[in-house]
Amino acid sequence: MKKTKVIALLLALTMTMSLVACKNKDASKETGTNTEASVDETDKGDTPEGTSSEPVEISYATFMVGSHASAAAEEEVINAFNKKFEGKYKVVVEELPSDNAFVDKMKILASSQTLPDVLIGKNGIRELAIENGQAVNIKPFLEADPEWMKFVGEDAMNYNMEDDGSVYSISNQRQIIGYFYNKDMFSKAGVTPAKTWDEFMSNNAKLKKAGFTPLALMTGENAWTTNLWLAAMIGTDGADGNAFMNTSYPANYNNSSVIKGLEMLKTCLKEYTTPDAVGALYANAANNFEQGNVAMIANGPWMCPDFTDETKSIPGFGDQVGVALYPEDGLIAQFEVGYILCTNGKSAEEQAGALEFLKFKTSEYAQSVFLEKAGVLPLTDNIEMSAEYKAANPILSELIQLSGSAKYTFENIDNTAFSSIVDETAVRYPELAYDEITPEEFADYLTKAAEMSK
Amino acid sequence: MTKNKKWVILFLLPGILLFSFIFLGPIIVLFGTSFTDWSIGKEISLVGLKNYIYLFTEDKTFMDSLKNTAIWILLQATFHVFIGTVVAIILAKKRWYSSAIRTIFFIPNVISSAALGMLFLCVMNPQYGFINTLIMKITGEGFSQNWFMDPKSAFSAVTMTWLPYAGLVTILVMAEMSSVSEDVYEAAKIDGASSFQTDIYVVLPLMKNIIGTSAVLAATSMLQKLDIIMMTTNGGPGSRTMNMPMYLYKTVFTNNNYGLANAQGVLLVLLGVILLKSIRKIFSMDAKE
Repeated sequence: MKKTKVIALLLALTMTMSLVACKNKDASKETGTNTEASVDETDKGDTPEGTSSEPVEISYATFMVGSHASAAAEEEVINAFNKKFEGKYKVVVEELPSDNAFVDKMKILASSQTLPDVLIGKNGIRELAIENGQAVNIKPFLEADPEWMKFVGEDAMNYNMEDDGSVYSISNQRQIIGYFYNKDMFSKAGVTPAKTWDEFMSNNAKLKKAGFTPLALMTGENAWTTNLWLAAMIGTDGADGNAFMNTSYPANYNNSSVIKGLEMLKTCLKEYTTPDAVGALYANAANNFEQGNVAMIANGPWMCPDFTDETKSIPGFGDQVGVALYPEDGLIAQFEVGYILCTNGKSAEEQAGALEFLKFKTSEYAQSVFLEKAGVLPLTDNIEMSAEYKAANPILSELIQLSGSAKYTFENIDNTAFSSIVDETAVRYPELAYDEITPEEFADYLTKAAEMSK
Repeated sequence: MTKNKKWVILFLLPGILLFSFIFLGPIIVLFGTSFTDWSIGKEISLVGLKNYIYLFTEDKTFMDSLKNTAIWILLQATFHVFIGTVVAIILAKKRWYSSAIRTIFFIPNVISSAALGMLFLCVMNPQYGFINTLIMKITGEGFSQNWFMDPKSAFSAVTMTWLPYAGLVTILVMAEMSSVSEDVYEAAKIDGASSFQTDIYVVLPLMKNIIGTSAVLAATSMLQKLDIIMMTTNGGPGSRTMNMPMYLYKTVFTNNNYGLANAQGVLLVLLGVILLKSIRKIFSMDAKE
C-alpha cells in the first residue's frame, strides 16, 4: 500500500514537473517576436542556436500570400531584402491567409503588445499600435533620409500625418479605383460607361434585358466590391456627399447622400447581380467577372494582371476589359494606411533592422516590383512607368489617364470608417436586399456602430 | 482517515494549482474588468454596473444573441441528444450495417469546423449548391434560395450545420449500453417484453446518466460555438444568427471594447454554470446511488 502511494506521488510530481517544463519551453519560444515563424525557422535549421554571428531577426506579418494578387511581388521583395542583408538582418515572415485573418490576429497581438516589428496597419491596427505604445513615429527618420523621402513623397506622408505632426505609417500604395467592364457585353447591350447614376441604372436594365448579369457584387467578408459602389454613389452626390466620403471616421451616417446610395444599391442587389452576391466572398465576385459571367466589377488596378492570367480568367479576357470612372466622373483616389513600425521598447539592433526593412519595403525598388508584378501604383511620380510597361498594361494606363478628368475624388469606406462600420454593412446588406430594413434604418445602424467604436 | 486526507489533498494539489493559474485567475480578472470601461490604450476606470445595464436595456444585438444562444442550447440539449440516442439504440442491435453507419455518422465530428463551414457554404450556395440543384431536379422548375443570407432561412440553415450530427452522443450512449448486462435483456425477454419495450422501459432508464452527460456536453458546446457561424453568416443577416461567443468576439476585435466584452463573458460563464446545474438536476445526476 505504501509502495503504491509513493509511486502515485512520484507520478503526480512527474506530471507537474512536465507541465512546468512545457511552460518553460513555451516561455522560451515567446521571447522571440514571432513564435510560429521562429519555431518553423529553427526546425529548418536556418538559424543555428548559440552562435554569435546570428543575423538580427525582424518579424513581419503579411496577408499578401497564396492567391493574393500581390503575393509574388511580396515574396520577391522579402527575398531581395534577405539577400541584400544576409548575415546582418533576416525577415521572419508570418503568413496570414486573408485580410480578415490578418486583421483579427494583429488585433489580438495588439492587446498583448506583441505586434510584429513591421506590418500593415489597416482597419484600425495602426490606431491600436499607437494607443498601446508599440508604434514608432517615423517622421524623424523620413526627414533624415532625403533619398527615402523622395520615393515616399510629401502627399503620402501628409496623408498619414496625425494632428500633432507625427507620422506612424508609410503608405504602401497610391490607389485609384474606378470600375472594370466587359466591352463585349456593353457592346451587345448597346450601352457605354454611364455618365450619370440614372444612366447607370438604365444601363443595368439594358444589360439585364440583353441576357447579362450587370454587377459583380459581394456582401461577405468586408463587402468590398459593394462598398466601393456605395462610396462612389455617396462621393459623387454633390459637394455634401463628396465631403462626407472625404471625412475620417464620420459619426453620423443619417444623411441624404448615404440613404440615396443605399436605395440604389438595394435595387442593384435585388435586380442586377448574381444570385449568390448576398453573402458572397470577394473570390466569388472576381470569379464571376473574370469568367465572363458579369458585366461590371468595381475594383482597383491590382486586378489587371488577373485579366491576362488564364488560370483566373477566360482566354483572351484581357482584351475584353475596359475601365471607367464612376458616374458623375467619380474616382476613389487615396493612399493606403501602409506599414507601421512597432519596435518601441525593443533592442537597438532590432529597431535598426526593422527600420531598414521598412525603408526597403517602401523604396524605389520595392515600389517598382509591386507595380510590375501586381499593378500597384507607386506613391510618387518619381517612379516612372516605362513605355513598354504602359503598352503591356493598357487598362492601367487608361485608368491613370482617366484619373486626370475626374470631377469628384474621394476615399473608400474601408479607409474613412471604423472597422465596425465595414462589419455592419456586411451584416446589414442581406437585410436590405430582402426588404427587412429600409435604407434609413440601415443608416441608423451605421451611426450606432460608429458610436460603439472606441 | 486523517492520513488519507493528506494524501487526497496532496494528489489534488497539482490540479487545483493548474486550475487556479489557468482558469481561476483569468475568471477573476474577467469578472473585475467587466465593471470597467477597458479598451486598448485607454485609461481604465470603474463604471460599476453600466456595462451590464447597457447590455440588457440598450443593446438589441446582445439580446438577440442571448435569445439565439438559448434556443440553440435548448435544441442541442433535446433534439440533438434525442437523435444521438435513437441512432445509438438502433446501432446497438448490431446489424450488418451498424459499423458502417456508426463511422459515417461520426464523420462530421472529426472534420474541422472551418472545413465544415466551407462545405456547407458550397452545399447551400444559391447559384450552384447541391440543395438548390436537387430541388430543381425534383420539381423541374427554377429555384434559387440563399439559405444562409435570406433572413427567413438563415437561422434554420445555421442550425442545420450542427443539430443533426450527433455522432458523439451516439458513441457515448453506445459505450454505456455495452456495459448493460445480458441478464437484463434476458430477464425482459422472459417477462415477454418486445425489443421496442425493452429499449424504452429497460435500457433507456439505465442510460439516464450518460444521456444527462451528453445533454451537458451538447448544451455547453453552444456556449463555445463561434467558428462555423463566422465561416457561414458572420452573425447576420443583421443579428439573426448572432450568438453570445460571436458577439463577444466582435465587441473585442471590432469595437475594441474589452470592458463590455468581459461583461458578456461573465454572463456566458454564469449561463454555463446555470445550465450545468439545471441539467444535472433534471437528470438527478447529483443524487447518490
